[in-house]
Amino acid sequence: MKNSLELIGKYFLLMKIVFSKPEKWKLFWKQFFIDTEKLVISSIPIIAVISVFIGAVIVIQTASNIESPFISKMYVGYMARESLALEFCSTMIALILAGKVGSNISSEIGSMRITEQIDAMEMMGINSANYLILPKIAASTVFNPLLMVMSFILGLLGGAIIVMITGVVTLSQYQEGLQYSFRSYYIFYSMVKMSAFSFVITSVSAFYGYNASGGSLGVGRSSTNAIVVSSVSILVVNLIITQLMLN
Amino acid sequence: MIRVVKLNKFFGDKQVLKDITINYQPGDCSLIIGASGSGKTVLLKSLVGLYEPDSGEVWYEDILFNKLDFKEKKNIRKEIGMLFQGSALFDFATVEENIRFPMDFFTDWSNEQKLDRVNFCLKRVNLENVNKLFPNELSGGMQKRVGIARAIALNPKYLFCDEPNSGLDPHTSILIDQLISEITKEYNITTVVNTHDMNSVMEIGDTVGFIYNGELVWEGNKNNILTSSHKELNEFVFASNMAKRVKEMMG
Repeated sequence: MKNSLELIGKYFLLMKIVFSKPEKWKLFWKQFFIDTEKLVISSIPIIAVISVFIGAVIVIQTASNIESPFISKMYVGYMARESLALEFCSTMIALILAGKVGSNISSEIGSMRITEQIDAMEMMGINSANYLILPKIAASTVFNPLLMVMSFILGLLGGAIIVMITGVVTLSQYQEGLQYSFRSYYIFYSMVKMSAFSFVITSVSAFYGYNASGGSLGVGRSSTNAIVVSSVSILVVNLIITQLMLN
Repeated sequence: MIRVVKLNKFFGDKQVLKDITINYQPGDCSLIIGASGSGKTVLLKSLVGLYEPDSGEVWYEDILFNKLDFKEKKNIRKEIGMLFQGSALFDFATVEENIRFPMDFFTDWSNEQKLDRVNFCLKRVNLENVNKLFPNELSGGMQKRVGIARAIALNPKYLFCDEPNSGLDPHTSILIDQLISEITKEYNITTVVNTHDMNSVMEIGDTVGFIYNGELVWEGNKNNILTSSHKELNEFVFASNMAKRVKEMMG
C-alpha cells in the first residue's frame, strides 16, 4: 500500500515537471509531429485490421443471437453500431494501444535512462521529462480520438462486408440498423474516452520508462509494468467516464 | 574554479562519500581515481547535480551550485560539458544533430552558424564526414570523440569526463586522453576526469585525487603518485603484475 501511494506520488510529481512550458516551442512542435507519426500514424494498420475483423465478428455474433421472429433483423446493424461506438472502438482499441504504444514508449525512454541519455539532457540544462514526454502525451491525446473514429467506420465496414459475404441479414437491413436511433453523443463520449485513455497510456508508460533502472532487465520490467498498469487504469477511467457521461 | 567542501552522500544507510573537500583549477586536468565502487562516479555526478549530496557544498566560482533549483542550475549547466562513460549519444539523432542539440536549445544561431560550429567541433576531435551517421554506426572511440565534440559545443568553462577510456583499446585511450588534455589547456577549462586507468593518470593527471571507500585519502599529481608511500594508493597503482615489475625495476 505504501509503495503504491509512493508510486502515485512520484507519478504526479513527474507530471508536474512534464507540464511545464517547453524550452523552445519550435522544438516542441518538431517532436510533436515526430511522435504523432510514431505513436498514432504507425498504429493505423493494426487498428484498421482489428476493427474490420471485430466489426465482422460482432455482426455474426449478434445475428446468431437474434433468432426470434419478433425482433427485426435490422437490430443486427443497430447492435453492431452501438457495440462499436460505446465500447469497442475506444476501450478495446485503447487496450491494444496500451500494448503497442505503451511498450514502445516505456522501452524507448527506459533505454535512454539506462544509457545515461536522459542524464546527458539534464546535464545540458534541458527539462528532459518535458522534452521527451509532453509531445507524446499531446500527440496521442489529440489524434487518437481520430483513430477511434476511423476504427468505428472500419468496424461498420467489416460488418457490411460480412453481411454481403454470408447474407446473415440483408445489406439494406444492416444499413437500416446503422441509421436507427443514431446518437452522435455516443461518438463524442467515445472520443472523450479515447482521449483520456491515450493520456493514461502515454503518461503511465513514460513514467515507468523514465524511472527504469537495473539495465536491460529493468527496461523489460518497466515495459511490463507500464502495460499492466495502463490496462488496469484504462478500465478504471472507463468506469468513471461512463458514470459521468452516460448516467 | 570548482570548490567542494565536506561533501557527503548516503544511499540508504550506506555512506558513499565521506567529507570530500577538494578544489579544481581552470586549465588543469584533475583526475579522480579509485577502485570500482569507491565512489568516483557518485562524486562526479554530485558535482554536476545529477545526485543531490546529503550535506556539503559544491561551489562554481562564487555560486553555491547544490543549493540552486533546476532553473537556477540551468545557467551553470550551460557552461558545463560532460562526457559520459557510454558516451550517452542520442540514439534518435545523427552525429550532427547530437552536437547541434544544445545549440538548438540555448542559442539563437542560424542553421549555417550551427553547422559551422558542428563542423568545427568535429574537426577539433579529429572526425570529419561523419555528420549524417547515427551513433550505432560509429566505433567506441568515435562515439567518445563525438561525445567530446558535443560537450564542447557551447564552449564550456567546465568539462566532466566519466571513465572516458572504458571499453577502448590502449592506443585509442591515449588519443582520447590527449584530446581531453589539449582541449583543457587550449580553452582554459576546469576539467575533472573520473578514471581507474593508470595510463590516463600518467598522461594527463595535472592533479590527482585518490578515493578509497568514499574518502579522499590522497592528493597529488602524476609526478609523485608513483613515489607515494600511501598504502592503499600503492595497492591501487601497483595492482597489475606489469606495474609491480616496473616498481621492482625502479627499485
